[in-house]
Amino acid sequence: MTITDPATLAGAGDAPGARAAEHPHVLVLADRCAGCQECVVRCPTAALDLDPSTWTAVADDAACVGCRQCVRTCPFGAIVVEGPALVAPRQPTVGVQPAGLDHDRSETRRGLAGWAEALAEASRCLGCPDPTCVRGCPTHNDIPSFVAAISRGDLDQAHRVLRRTSWLPDICSRVCDQALQCEGACTWSLEGGTPVAIGALERFVADNAPVPPIEVTSDDGRGLSVAVVGSGPAGLAAASELASHGASVTLYERDHDCGGLLRWGIPDFTLPDVVARRPGEALAAAGVRIELDHEVTPAGLDRLADEHDAVVVAVGASQPLRAPLPGAELEGVWDATRFLTAAHAAIAAGDPLPGLAAREPREPREPGSGQPSASGRATAERPPTVLVLGAGNTAMDVARSARRLGAEAICVDWMDRRFAPVRPDELDEAAAEGVEVRFSTTVVGLEGTDGHVGRALLARTEQKSADRRPRVLGGEPTVQPVDLVVMAMGYRIEPEVARAAGGVPLTKQVAGLPERRWLASGILAEPAPAFARHQPVGRLALGREQARVAAGLPRRERVWFVGDALVGPSTVVEAMAQGQQAARAILHHRPRRSLDPAPGADPERSAGPRAGLGDPGGPLADGSARPRHVLVAFSSRGGTTAALARQVGTILSGRGAEVSVLPVERVGPAQLAWADHLVVATWVEGLVVGRVGPARAARRWMSALPELAGMPVTLLCTYAFSPAGTLGEMSRLVGARGGKVVASAAISRRRRSSERAAELALLSAPALAG
Amino acid sequence: MAVTFPPDPSTEARGALPGLPDPVPVAVHLRAPHRSGIEERFAATDQPAGHDLARHPRVARLLRSRKFQFLLILPNQVIFWLVIFLGLLGTVVPGLNFGNAITWYIWFCLVFVMIAVVGRAWCSMCPFGGFGEWVQRRALWQRTQRALGLGKKLPEPVARYGLLASVGSFIVLTWIEEFFDIAGPGKPMATSFMVLGIVSTALVFFLVFERRTFCRYVCPLSALIGSLGAMGSAAGFRTRDRQVCLSCETKDCMRGGEEGYGCPWYTWPGSADSNLTCGLCSECYKACPSDNVGLFVQRPLTSVVAPSRRRADVAWSVALLWGLVVFQQVNATSPYATLDGWLTRMTGIAYPNPIDYLGIIIAVAAIFAGVAWGMSRLLGKDLARWHQPSALSSSFVDRQSRFRSFFVPLAYGVVPVVAADYLARQLPKFFKHASRIVPSIGAWFGAGSTHSSLYDLRLLSNPSIVAVQVGVIAAGTLAALWTTWRISGREIAPVATRPLAARLASVAVVVVLGGVAGWLYVLMHAAS
Repeated sequence: MTITDPATLAGAGDAPGARAAEHPHVLVLADRCAGCQECVVRCPTAALDLDPSTWTAVADDAACVGCRQCVRTCPFGAIVVEGPALVAPRQPTVGVQPAGLDHDRSETRRGLAGWAEALAEASRCLGCPDPTCVRGCPTHNDIPSFVAAISRGDLDQAHRVLRRTSWLPDICSRVCDQALQCEGACTWSLEGGTPVAIGALERFVADNAPVPPIEVTSDDGRGLSVAVVGSGPAGLAAASELASHGASVTLYERDHDCGGLLRWGIPDFTLPDVVARRPGEALAAAGVRIELDHEVTPAGLDRLADEHDAVVVAVGASQPLRAPLPGAELEGVWDATRFLTAAHAAIAAGDPLPGLAAREPREPREPGSGQPSASGRATAERPPTVLVLGAGNTAMDVARSARRLGAEAICVDWMDRRFAPVRPDELDEAAAEGVEVRFSTTVVGLEGTDGHVGRALLARTEQKSADRRPRVLGGEPTVQPVDLVVMAMGYRIEPEVARAAGGVPLTKQVAGLPERRWLASGILAEPAPAFARHQPVGRLALGREQARVAAGLPRRERVWFVGDALVGPSTVVEAMAQGQQAARAILHHRPRRSLDPAPGADPERSAGPRAGLGDPGGPLADGSARPRHVLVAFSSRGGTTAALARQVGTILSGRGAEVSVLPVERVGPAQLAWADHLVVATWVEGLVVGRVGPARAARRWMSALPELAGMPVTLLCTYAFSPAGTLGEMSRLVGARGGKVVASAAISRRRRSSERAAELALLSAPALAG
Repeated sequence: MAVTFPPDPSTEARGALPGLPDPVPVAVHLRAPHRSGIEERFAATDQPAGHDLARHPRVARLLRSRKFQFLLILPNQVIFWLVIFLGLLGTVVPGLNFGNAITWYIWFCLVFVMIAVVGRAWCSMCPFGGFGEWVQRRALWQRTQRALGLGKKLPEPVARYGLLASVGSFIVLTWIEEFFDIAGPGKPMATSFMVLGIVSTALVFFLVFERRTFCRYVCPLSALIGSLGAMGSAAGFRTRDRQVCLSCETKDCMRGGEEGYGCPWYTWPGSADSNLTCGLCSECYKACPSDNVGLFVQRPLTSVVAPSRRRADVAWSVALLWGLVVFQQVNATSPYATLDGWLTRMTGIAYPNPIDYLGIIIAVAAIFAGVAWGMSRLLGKDLARWHQPSALSSSFVDRQSRFRSFFVPLAYGVVPVVAADYLARQLPKFFKHASRIVPSIGAWFGAGSTHSSLYDLRLLSNPSIVAVQVGVIAAGTLAALWTTWRISGREIAPVATRPLAARLASVAVVVVLGGVAGWLYVLMHAAS
């Protein structure tokens, strides 16, 4: 951070008059400050220190830049910062209005103009010790580091930093909604100001230095054969990650182009074709086998799993939502996928969109009846009209593409404008291009002649708050003449895919206490920043993180579902992060195919044991045995079960496994994604006459387990009098979550320790199998 | 291969949770916390591991239970709702009403015994804060995630003065109690309204502000228990290993964890060096992911003598509280009756006239402060650090000056004698009327009566009571002499031009205080 001198910032702040030439003043409430130093360790400018005599924080106003990181991170709210934020104004990255829209493919958003702007923008970054922007980024790019690299003029290093977490920096920097992600979580944004233009800086890197090719950086994946189904961002990322670790990857794509949604779903004026093509070309150059025009149905996943060691399913959420409207079956009522695909091709070829030629003057009609108006007169020749249902980002893409094909475009959305999730910048761009957006309006019916849609009946709606469903108001609907209706109201996962994955889409709602490191970082502080459109960026980021972590767990044996196929429609960067996570899980577990050699199969490839994640047999590239990862989860009351769990851990560790012993409360999806084998240990709750079974905490935990997809599980319980049906109930609970019980034992608390050790040793053997 | 569970069999560390590679920590580069001098800083106040009651498995299990504090609060909750209802609906005979009897003959005396012996024991079982907390948490004992209420922070202009708001509320409440003769005890209904008023005020604060803002800053008893409870043997919940606390990335004990709430009292076990603000609620113990919090006991007076951080709000609290207890002694004498009668005629406000009430409290505190000021002028060094801007502009609590360098340690030193004075003040009611609790319970069933032998049973005669009071004062004075001698030697002597004279002057102040307090009890007895 170079700008700390208030004299240089007089009048240069975000809010006129709010950034006077004065320093912020930090007031530490000595009565409440406990000297925990949460502020000291996180202050970006080292303006806070500890007074050892009182053991409270003390501030140096001269070093403070007013970012208020300390205010957000103090657990007791003992710090007040008054005064301005000392940060230079953000470099503008305004859009470019095309001179003529007709079949125009030029990008409408520009990056930073040059090095001067980039350096100025990079200097706004504080390089926070606990960067909230990194948590806000769905793939957790190390933003301070790559920005620092820009500041040093080292774009190659910036790329190296980005490459650790992102395979698509050129794409993400163009299509991400940074306001709800990294920029919304930037400390300046959380403070209430304008964040560092992280997206523009990332794009500056990608535009000014070529994105590096995929290079094999380790042998972790050597010997693994992985199928990736779908070449959208999730599939591309998974394939890239695996290929860079030496795995043999086959990418299956049902279209005749690689890129999925990046190719057909995002128009060229947002994501130029040359950029969207790059990741596929990089994969091909890295030796990834790309099977185009090859559709893999959910029914074909088993066969694919037989042919490969692991499968990553990244087929997206491609079923469009259709409004159940009268007249929705008419010709000329399309979904967004069909329109965008056709429009993409038409704009690229310079052709008109079939069915969107200029129309004859339309005869005015009476509202509702569709009868010719008695008083109306025919209008002059007119361009065709495309009515888009919805006003989200896809709807904007549809409408703006329609404008480039010479049509009038009208978007209708029944939500109130205040609550609509559309990006304001996209809305502004669309408006500038002549798209008419009507909020609080809905279509109540479509009418047409000769089977082709010609009129839409529109009604007003009312929405009182963001969490309430809009209500259609009464009254006569208005008639909107239309030539094409495009339903762009969203997508969902294909039902067959959802069935194959089981339990998808995963929810991104954060329930209960947020992860405390996130809480400590201050990203969850309130109020929600204005730059993030008053959305709770921290909670949104945590929800995404939940999904990213879950992507590391297979949904079926050796089959991972990622991206929109896992969580429903989301964003490019989320899908990419999930694809990477699944790839890392595969590299971590090294699952292997069937032991039984299929006729004609490569015997070396089939050398691993049967079953999936839990029985990884793949040796490491250097031929050494891969350590087993065993997770021992226990629920203990008096300490007996905890001691046994540790004893099991010691035995397993002594035999070469990597073991983690944790109470069940601390075992979540992240820990399960790490484990090859799960040991569950619990004490037996209940008296002889009462309900005897696993401890309530363990029972609750087992019931809430995510899909275990065939993970081998060992069950263990300790009892005083009788275990009764404890093991049976545990087996049922774990089995219901897809776990495969391979061993179980009930151990009396009265058993002598030598007997107990022998029994545990016996019990531990299956955990080391494979 | 490594086993990632921690070496201590009683703990599972949070820091080493397994998982796939996480890119976030790669980007996190926290500054190193300040660690130098930490051993010396807390050497005098840290208790040995043997003083950790939570090392005993049964105590640990009790503290781990979320129902622990609920079960402490519940009996008192029942009793004080009975006080409210029986005060309104029970017998109007003051001495026979259970509400009056339990409140003024038993509870108020027990509170002071607990202060002197334990510390904030009452806070851990207080029904007033307990009720507000149940409502605020929407739970009796469970760990919930969604609080009820606005969750505001106490405004900084009030919070910066620490315990002084609590002293103020105690002074106001005492005036109300005297004015309406509530603790006399007077009409049972008055006791009901007083308790109801405290409960309601607490509830409002719990609904407007976060955590136990009421208890920490506003509760009438908080400053009293906090400052005088320093004598007590409960050190409170403290860290077992401060390095673990400093390395902790989550501070669950402050922010709240899965099993426990963040400290309701704004106290961090990692830096606690006295029992001043530990409400003994055990939330930090439950929340700590590293099992690094213990419940420590200490030798009596440790929290008076040992802490190196001296707080001005505590010092002023002690001075003002001493003024208040002196008022309660003086008000039984005839010169006071003459003065108050005259003021009542002049202002129309009956006993206690606010002018003499506040006048005596402030005068006593001012005299005490004046003595300290005089000592600082006569015996204090004029150090350059008193004049540095940082010393002058820092907080009210920690600001340093020549005057404070004498006043604050001296106020800490007299804590035992002030506490003894308060305890002694409550003894007559206990010794004279404690037995009335039995007929007052009988009165629920129509069995209790003023004719009961227990109604007029005195545990001690008046002269014996005075003897006990003077004995308590003497014990408190002796304790204060020891604490003052120790504190003045460590804190006043280094800033005095004549260290020995300063120490002797300090203990002389204690002797005078103890003498005045004991003499006033004799005077009170003579007057009655």
